[in-house]
Amino acid sequence: MSEVVMKGLKKVYDNKVTAVHDVNLEIKDKEFIVLVGPSGCGKSTTLRMVAGLEEISGGELYIDGKLVNETPPKDRDIAMVFQNYALYPHMTVYDNLAYALKLRKVKKPEIDKKVREVAEILDITQYLKRKPKALSGGQRQRVAIGRAMVRDPKVFLMDEPLSNLDAKLRNQMRAEIIKLRSRINTTFMYVTHDQTEAMTLGDRIVIMKDGYVNQIGTPQEVFNKPVNLFVAGFIGMPVMNFFDNCKVLLENGVYYAEIRGVRFMLDDFQQKALKQNGIETQDIIAGIRPQHVTVGEGELLAKIEVSEMMGSEYNIHARCEGDEVVMLIPTFDLETDVSMGRTVNFTTKPMLIQMFDKETGNNLIWYDAESASKDAPVCKRYDF
Amino acid sequence: MEAVNNVQSKKLRKEKAAVPKGRRWRKFKENSPYLLMILPAVLVVFLFNYLPIYGILIAFQDFMPGDKILSDSTIWVGFQNFERFFTDPMFWPLMQNTFLICIIGFIIGFPLPIIVALMLNALKGKRMAKVIQTIFNAPHFISLVVLVGMLTLFFGRYGLVNNIAASIGGERYSYFLESKAFRPMYILSSNWQDFGWSAIIYIAALSNVDPQQHEAAILDGATRFQRVWSIDLPAIMPMISVMLIMSIGGLMGVGYEKALLMQTDGNLQVSELISTYVYKRGLTGVPDQAYATAIGLFNSIINVVLLIIANTTSKRFSENSLW
Repeated sequence: MSEVVMKGLKKVYDNKVTAVHDVNLEIKDKEFIVLVGPSGCGKSTTLRMVAGLEEISGGELYIDGKLVNETPPKDRDIAMVFQNYALYPHMTVYDNLAYALKLRKVKKPEIDKKVREVAEILDITQYLKRKPKALSGGQRQRVAIGRAMVRDPKVFLMDEPLSNLDAKLRNQMRAEIIKLRSRINTTFMYVTHDQTEAMTLGDRIVIMKDGYVNQIGTPQEVFNKPVNLFVAGFIGMPVMNFFDNCKVLLENGVYYAEIRGVRFMLDDFQQKALKQNGIETQDIIAGIRPQHVTVGEGELLAKIEVSEMMGSEYNIHARCEGDEVVMLIPTFDLETDVSMGRTVNFTTKPMLIQMFDKETGNNLIWYDAESASKDAPVCKRYDF
Repeated sequence: MEAVNNVQSKKLRKEKAAVPKGRRWRKFKENSPYLLMILPAVLVVFLFNYLPIYGILIAFQDFMPGDKILSDSTIWVGFQNFERFFTDPMFWPLMQNTFLICIIGFIIGFPLPIIVALMLNALKGKRMAKVIQTIFNAPHFISLVVLVGMLTLFFGRYGLVNNIAASIGGERYSYFLESKAFRPMYILSSNWQDFGWSAIIYIAALSNVDPQQHEAAILDGATRFQRVWSIDLPAIMPMISVMLIMSIGGLMGVGYEKALLMQTDGNLQVSELISTYVYKRGLTGVPDQAYATAIGLFNSIINVVLLIIANTTSKRFSENSLW
């Protein structure tokens, strides 16, 4: 069992800057959790507090049921992979892998067995005698992962391990990490600013902004049920389309969403949720994902500014009464002309419309006041 | 057939030579602003370091002050001045004194700045480290005359140390008149003056160490000392090698100023060094500049030989060397 539990975890630096506010998170045994957010959101600081590299200013941190706030890093039974690999440059790959075991006074034959075992898994046996400078970025990253693996840690921490690699190698290493995870089967905490990495690797994703946790959920949940404008805009590629000055209307007990004068009668689950949340007619910011747009149907109109043929789909940038709208349209059954300069009609399924409170930026359906950080700043628009 | 081959290979060589020449010119043009920037430094080095080498010719002449170095009346004497030095009764005492003061100074003085740099770097409070570093650097800016003046104030017959000794019933001791005290005073004061300054280069090298390496080592379970040993020391090893080679290369090049200032009749038998002897023979009394130049040249040759040995050894046993 290697659970990590954070209760009101907080980091305040000497200059009174609060980097992390009140993080509450329960990471289950063998779970792969990804902390994601823009630069300066506090994700790395949170990870470093778990590692013991940053002092905890407030709250409690439990690893495997034990309070570890004051426990030195070496006694927390964790291993960490760093962004810059942090390999010891004067040591060979073998010595880099063996160093932690040597410090723990493990017997030589055992060290040798363990190092070779890990090198075999990571396919770096042929490089054991080389020094880090004679390795490529990908090979160095494998060694860095191997160095963490040899220790059989309870918790595996990774701080943006792929951000120094080029796009191709990053994709390759991402797949390697997924395979590796199934082999070593331990608890992972992974920090990244790349939402694709977060979506593909994580069992659950923690989305952070300005030191606050905005949402915790599975990749599917954070994509389909974003709690606020920030999460909606941060997760998903291309970014969600936002329509300002829209309305949610309550007429004769029925809820409608009104976007650019076009009314959409909302789905049953939306009707129920809005009623339960006591929503009346109000101004909203509506959100529609580019993947959820249908062209050639409906009454919304947009003028196409750029139309990019991507093979299996068109990536269309259009303008709808001042708002930029991005549409991802599959090519296989497209009958509408989507060439540049054309005006096309488009629509979406009402159940796929996200509705955000104009004042608070919170999702009228998915925002849960109980689980949200109490003093988190209001996110009025998706902007960072 | 052979002739044809020769012609062909000549042609090939010409073609091969033509390509790099063009590339070299292009590279020269690309780098010309930078080359122009280093030109003043090259000129200074040439004027003050290379041009005077011409003066070593007088080591092979019967030269008197006022003579021209190269003229019809120049009297060439070959290695006579060197032979004179080797048979001079001062030869062995000078060699021994110079060697001992240099080697002991080197053994104490070389590791000291490394240790200081590692310790300052390991300090948690960076502001405190800066304050300590400034305190350590300050003695470097004291002139030799003031330094020897301070030594006199501390170790003179009526200086601080003797006053303390006398106040507790001890006897006054003439440190400057005792040959036994010369080397410790000379070496320790030199090291005191320069260890902080010499540490700067190592501190600069240590600042390049990736902090994540230390963090990784902390997670691996390394103690502070283990981190210094496994991360910091290897990181500055190339710098240590270069400094070691340069120190060995200048091992016998001890200056005359401080030794002369500290010299008394009482300590002359250990304080007379090659450099002080060259100064006295070449510039005081009846100057014998040819002889003094020969001694100086001999000293320089020893340094060059030591430099080559140190560089070759370093190249063989580590990856670092000057050339």
